[in-house]
Amino acid sequence: MSPALVGNVLVLLVMPFLLTGVINRVKSLWSGRKGPPLFQPAWDVLRLLRKSSVYSTTTTPLFRIAPWVLLVTSLGSALVTPLLGSTPLLSFAFDFVVLAYAWGLGRAALMLAALDTGSSFEGMGAAREATFSALVEPALFLVVGALGLFTRTHTLHQALFLHIDDGASALAWVCAVVALLVVLQTETARMPVDDPTTHLELTMVHEVMVLDHSGPDLAAIQLANSVKLLVGASAIATLLNPLAGAGTALSAGLTVLLSLLVAVVVGTIESLIARLRLQTVPKYVGLAIAAGAIALLATTWRLGGAP
Amino acid sequence: MTLFLASFPVLLLGAVLSAALRNNKHSAAAAIASQSLATVLVLAGVAPLLAGAPPMELSWSWPPPIEHISLHLDGLSAFFLAWSLPMTLLGTVFATGYLKPYFEKGRRGGQHFALLTVTSLAFVIVYSVGNALVFLLGWEIAAVAAWLLVIWDYRNQKIRFAGFNYIVSTHVGLFVLVAAFMLLHSATGSMEFSAFGKFLSQQSSMRSSIFVLLGVAFALKSAFFPFHTWLPRAHAAAPAHVSALMSGVIHKAGLFGFLRFTLLMGKPEEWMGWTVLAFGGLSALFGVLSTATQRDLKRLLGYSSTENVGIVAMGFGVGYLGWTWELPGLAVLGFAGGLLHLFNHALFKCLLFYAAGSVYYATHTVDLERLGGLAKKLPRTALLFLVGALAICALPPLNGFASEFVIYSGLLSGLAPHTDQNALLTLAAAGLAFVGAVSALSMVRAFGVAFLGNPREPKLHVGEEPPTPMLVPMVLHAVGVVLVGVAPATALLLVKGALLPFPMAAALAPALVPLGSVVWVSRALAGALVLVGVVSWLSGRAARRSATWGCGYTAATPRMQYTGSSFAEQFARIFQAFLPALRRGEPSEDLFPRHSVHLATHHADPVEQRMFEVLGQGEKYVGQATEKIPEQPRFAFAAGLVALFVIGLILVGALR
Repeated sequence: MSPALVGNVLVLLVMPFLLTGVINRVKSLWSGRKGPPLFQPAWDVLRLLRKSSVYSTTTTPLFRIAPWVLLVTSLGSALVTPLLGSTPLLSFAFDFVVLAYAWGLGRAALMLAALDTGSSFEGMGAAREATFSALVEPALFLVVGALGLFTRTHTLHQALFLHIDDGASALAWVCAVVALLVVLQTETARMPVDDPTTHLELTMVHEVMVLDHSGPDLAAIQLANSVKLLVGASAIATLLNPLAGAGTALSAGLTVLLSLLVAVVVGTIESLIARLRLQTVPKYVGLAIAAGAIALLATTWRLGGAP
Repeated sequence: MTLFLASFPVLLLGAVLSAALRNNKHSAAAAIASQSLATVLVLAGVAPLLAGAPPMELSWSWPPPIEHISLHLDGLSAFFLAWSLPMTLLGTVFATGYLKPYFEKGRRGGQHFALLTVTSLAFVIVYSVGNALVFLLGWEIAAVAAWLLVIWDYRNQKIRFAGFNYIVSTHVGLFVLVAAFMLLHSATGSMEFSAFGKFLSQQSSMRSSIFVLLGVAFALKSAFFPFHTWLPRAHAAAPAHVSALMSGVIHKAGLFGFLRFTLLMGKPEEWMGWTVLAFGGLSALFGVLSTATQRDLKRLLGYSSTENVGIVAMGFGVGYLGWTWELPGLAVLGFAGGLLHLFNHALFKCLLFYAAGSVYYATHTVDLERLGGLAKKLPRTALLFLVGALAICALPPLNGFASEFVIYSGLLSGLAPHTDQNALLTLAAAGLAFVGAVSALSMVRAFGVAFLGNPREPKLHVGEEPPTPMLVPMVLHAVGVVLVGVAPATALLLVKGALLPFPMAAALAPALVPLGSVVWVSRALAGALVLVGVVSWLSGRAARRSATWGCGYTAATPRMQYTGSSFAEQFARIFQAFLPALRRGEPSEDLFPRHSVHLATHHADPVEQRMFEVLGQGEKYVGQATEKIPEQPRFAFAAGLVALFVIGLILVGALR
């Protein structure tokens, strides 16, 4: 058992809950409340796991399988993410393609489960999720593709070990951080794309898709969402971390701290900005595409003609 | 070679027997028997080619104008033959079940089975000949057979129109192809592909024009944007197995032609690679955007063909560029990815069309807005459709993912000699990612609306699951989809054979190393999915059941479920420019409408719409122009002809 393995597994077990807890705490502090305990999301998941599920008579077995497909794909995507700012548990050429498509599979499963209930509200949520994710996907590929070209590497973690040494690399770096943040907000249903705490089904995206899930199934969905948050936050943290790639304990600790900082930023944005109107969300996601394109341009500019 | 040649008379005899026999069952038996025998013969004949045997050549003297019928069988021919014939056979088996209700009403099916056999025959000709005239002959047989197959239900005017539209479009393509062959003939004085090859391997402006002409002709055959307008109509009109064969198998001939001439041409120029890549990307984008708004399930699948051939062409574009830059690793990734995707598309597209056919068999409609909740009444069809749908979105662990991954690993390899070129390739990868995500939207929509939820039209009678002859081809295709997903090596055996005639074939094994690691991930994912699937399915069976939580607004009728149109509405509004919505009637302006209003929305094909507009205007202009020539119309006609001839001469002279 290498320390890196233990560290990665520990982070994977603890951080999803902690990140969600930190976001909730930050939101509470901004609104002048004390807020729930930091590990409340973990207790919520445990509580749900002890309950039993109720299924709609309209649904097919697909509805019962979907949450677990989502969980499996999210956990799988965490394996190729540099959770500690160094080599992840699993790494191979073009692993981010697998990550993006594994997320796609989880998303498709959840959207199908939403349509399976026959509820118009859930159909609405699924349609919105499908529309927004279609716009997110190219942004993700632009950013990671640009960073891969910049660092001349083919794996996600190596692409994220970007060192800033001139204007072009700084521009690419800033754009990558912005784009990844928007991707993170869209994928994990945070403000200003989606409001996870709203009480009006008509305005929800992600939450409305899981209205009918209960008990362990709901726990799986919440856990999967937290894991996706961890994946996104770790990716941004690795990019922010100047020591990334060193593989030292210091660099690992810094990555974890920076992931928590990302959670603080997400919570702060969520407290200060209202959710966008649904028609404006595509424009916001377009920001990520634009940032990705600029990162690609900066890469071209920096690398010039040399191969 | 003898084995391969023997398939020709076998198929011919089978076709004649099918057409001549009076009993439908006997006709079907003759078709299936001859196609099975031919499949075995062809597979036995071409198997050595896939394993690396040298190409087979044969030439007969023949009276003019053909002079020689020469056969040239290489790995590429073997690849296409190896799956085209078996899949046509499966389509014929499907037809025996699908057409049964027609037969019971006394309809004769002999010609239909004969035509299916003739289609196989056309493959044997097109994929093996080395002479342009014979190639055109096979090409034409396939086109006319497909047309006659499409208009099976010829009493319906709409279907006759779709067939007419197809036959005209495919002949427009034929004219372009003939033009290219005539140019080649004028340059070489021969109709042999080998002579064409000698001319095409030298760079000239004539070669560029021929490349464009051939590209257009083959693109029309494979229904690339903007030459796709005939395709959604034809696919919606044809019986399910004909749509499946056209989309999955017959139209792959266009891509074969493209590769055949690529091989004849040898090392391409850089602009050709970029053109193919951009053209493919555009097709993929347009095709997938159009799938998002379709109401007719088979039309939707038709547009998805335009998308998938686009993805294949993106792979070929990468192959071209790699060839130009003399990077065998990149070239081989592009061609292998394209060929693998082409094969995968045949697997899942036939599966999806067959499943759509099963829906039609049970309900007599493929209109998404009338369906719903079919998964409970047709669980097998639903499962098979789902497998195909997930595969076509390129989701792991199914086969579409394997082939798109190979194309991605070419696009994102960073191997291009210049950073600008690498940036463009990355941009193409982002486009492909967008195509994948939109395809997920369309397929979730199609499956979700048709198979999940409650029936939208309670009066719609849902019949039985498809009978065995329909089920068997579907199951076989689904097995192929899963198998190639978790073990792409199976399909790569074929692809490897197809790449043998290419000079960079040796670079295949090292280039596919990334795929090797991904396969293990796919297998692990497949295992995990099966595990969670079984566990959650078993554990949930005893769970408490209740009604769907309606948020306090329980729908008054099942028609108030989210429809296919509403699912695509927000997306279609973002991409309005590509997805123009036609409205009839006006929505009510009041928040609380007092009068009843009528509103119908419909998404038309923008290219077709524009084409008809232009044609309409053109007619007007011609009308106005001819009015100005009051008399002596014959003189005007002759003058026009002479002018055209002179312009043609000048053009040809300039090209020389």
